[in-house]
Amino acid sequence: MRPDFYVLSWNDLLVSLLFIAFSLFLIKKWKLGLENTLLIGTLRTFVQLTLMGYVLTWFFDQQHWAFMLMLLLLMIVIASYEGTRRQKQVIPHFFAAMLVALLGSAILILGTILLFILDVEPWFSPYAAIPIGGMIIGNGLNSTALTANRFVGEMKHREKEIETLLALGATPKLAVYDAMKASIHAALIPNINAMMTVGLVQLPGVMTGQILAGIDPIIAVRYQIMIMYMWFTTATLANMIMLAIVYRQYFTSKLQLRRELLREKA
Amino acid sequence: MSYIISFCLCDIYNWPMENGVLFRFEDVHLRVEDKHILQGLEFNISKGEFVAVIGASGAGKSSLLRMFNALTSPSTGNITFRGIEIDSDIQALRKNVGVLFQNPVVFEGTVRENLLIAGRWDQTISQTLDHEILDALDQVGLVNIKLTHHARDLSGGEQQRLALARTLLNHPQVLLLDEPTSNLDPKLAREIMDQIEELREALNLTVIAVSHDHMLMRRYAKRVIILSHGKIIGDGDFKTLDKSHAFEDAGLLKNEVNDAT
Repeated sequence: MRPDFYVLSWNDLLVSLLFIAFSLFLIKKWKLGLENTLLIGTLRTFVQLTLMGYVLTWFFDQQHWAFMLMLLLLMIVIASYEGTRRQKQVIPHFFAAMLVALLGSAILILGTILLFILDVEPWFSPYAAIPIGGMIIGNGLNSTALTANRFVGEMKHREKEIETLLALGATPKLAVYDAMKASIHAALIPNINAMMTVGLVQLPGVMTGQILAGIDPIIAVRYQIMIMYMWFTTATLANMIMLAIVYRQYFTSKLQLRRELLREKA
Repeated sequence: MSYIISFCLCDIYNWPMENGVLFRFEDVHLRVEDKHILQGLEFNISKGEFVAVIGASGAGKSSLLRMFNALTSPSTGNITFRGIEIDSDIQALRKNVGVLFQNPVVFEGTVRENLLIAGRWDQTISQTLDHEILDALDQVGLVNIKLTHHARDLSGGEQQRLALARTLLNHPQVLLLDEPTSNLDPKLAREIMDQIEELREALNLTVIAVSHDHMLMRRYAKRVIILSHGKIIGDGDFKTLDKSHAFEDAGLLKNEVNDAT
């Protein structure tokens, strides 16, 4: 099958609205009171993604490395802001920590993929850099936001342990090592589980999309394997960079735990 | 590089000191937000002393104790340890000044793993031999305990002794006690305090104990510092201070004082 067979027209999209109409009917029947929210959500999905399509097309037409870098940087700034906004804990300089973590992992991982794996020509071709960069940044954002939350929760829970270790002569890094380990485990285990079951239980979205668009499943699978590896490394790297910055905020230069930060509102 | 520096400073803390003064507090204040927790503290503590810091709850006892191992720093004022600024090398200071908290922290793992936890950063601890570990347990009265025993299965008193043995493996010169027996029954509390007094004599330790229980403390401490609302309102031996109003002024019941004397 060739891709043109599956090209979605605006009319096709209108038919897909039937899904929403059906959900709306069910929601009304069960009196769940979600009708307005769903309608706004439906509209926003349409408007935001359509606009994004035009923006991307415009950017793709520019064919200039500066545009691509600017767009990636903008995505990183927005993701860092979103990560900070989502945070339930009070973490000093969290925006900066997110920015460095996402920038660091994007440079390293996206750079490797563009230059050494896909050998994209020219390297700044937005057809590769933007979607892959978006996946790295999005995955990094989700993972680090959760890990930071968990890390601060662990520190609150282990405050006495941390002070006992400091009192025995530990550096702050060693004093929070167990809290770091627990939070990074919690972040990475779902990723590892996904790697265990991928292809058996679920078919990932990217692969499904590629197959629908007419790509040979063998090729689509190769992309998916690369993406799984990339996801895991992004989560590992972004979390480690973020934690390396965040844990320092909780200690003074005199190796004292800033307990007042752990007392602030959750 | 930092290892070399800390090694050198660690040595400085072991140099002979003038006139036996270990800690010197000079006009020490502590403010947290707009609260004045400690106000104008001035005193010295000499090597080998057993000092009790007594006061009602909220008097600032625990905040004061945290200053001896620099877990808290004064807002203003100066503290020296063996004649050197207390925060010159905090890691070396904390090895020299051990602490036993009110609720001892016992980590997930075996008795051995708990005792050697400082081995994560300190090679001399990670290389501790089994017979040295058993000696430390013996010193704190923990006999018939397997090193492979799960530490969190120990009783409250045993956990407190385990925490004490863990601190002793750092070979401290000073032992800080933060209400170490307040969660134990009176008999057990006295047993642990007896053990600490024996250790103080055997190892020539300096002990600084914070407590609201001056009845227990007067059995062991030769000197008492009475804190009230962050100020020292009495500093001397128990008998002299009994004659003053310091205990009552600190909010401690008078009949308790009379019963004890």
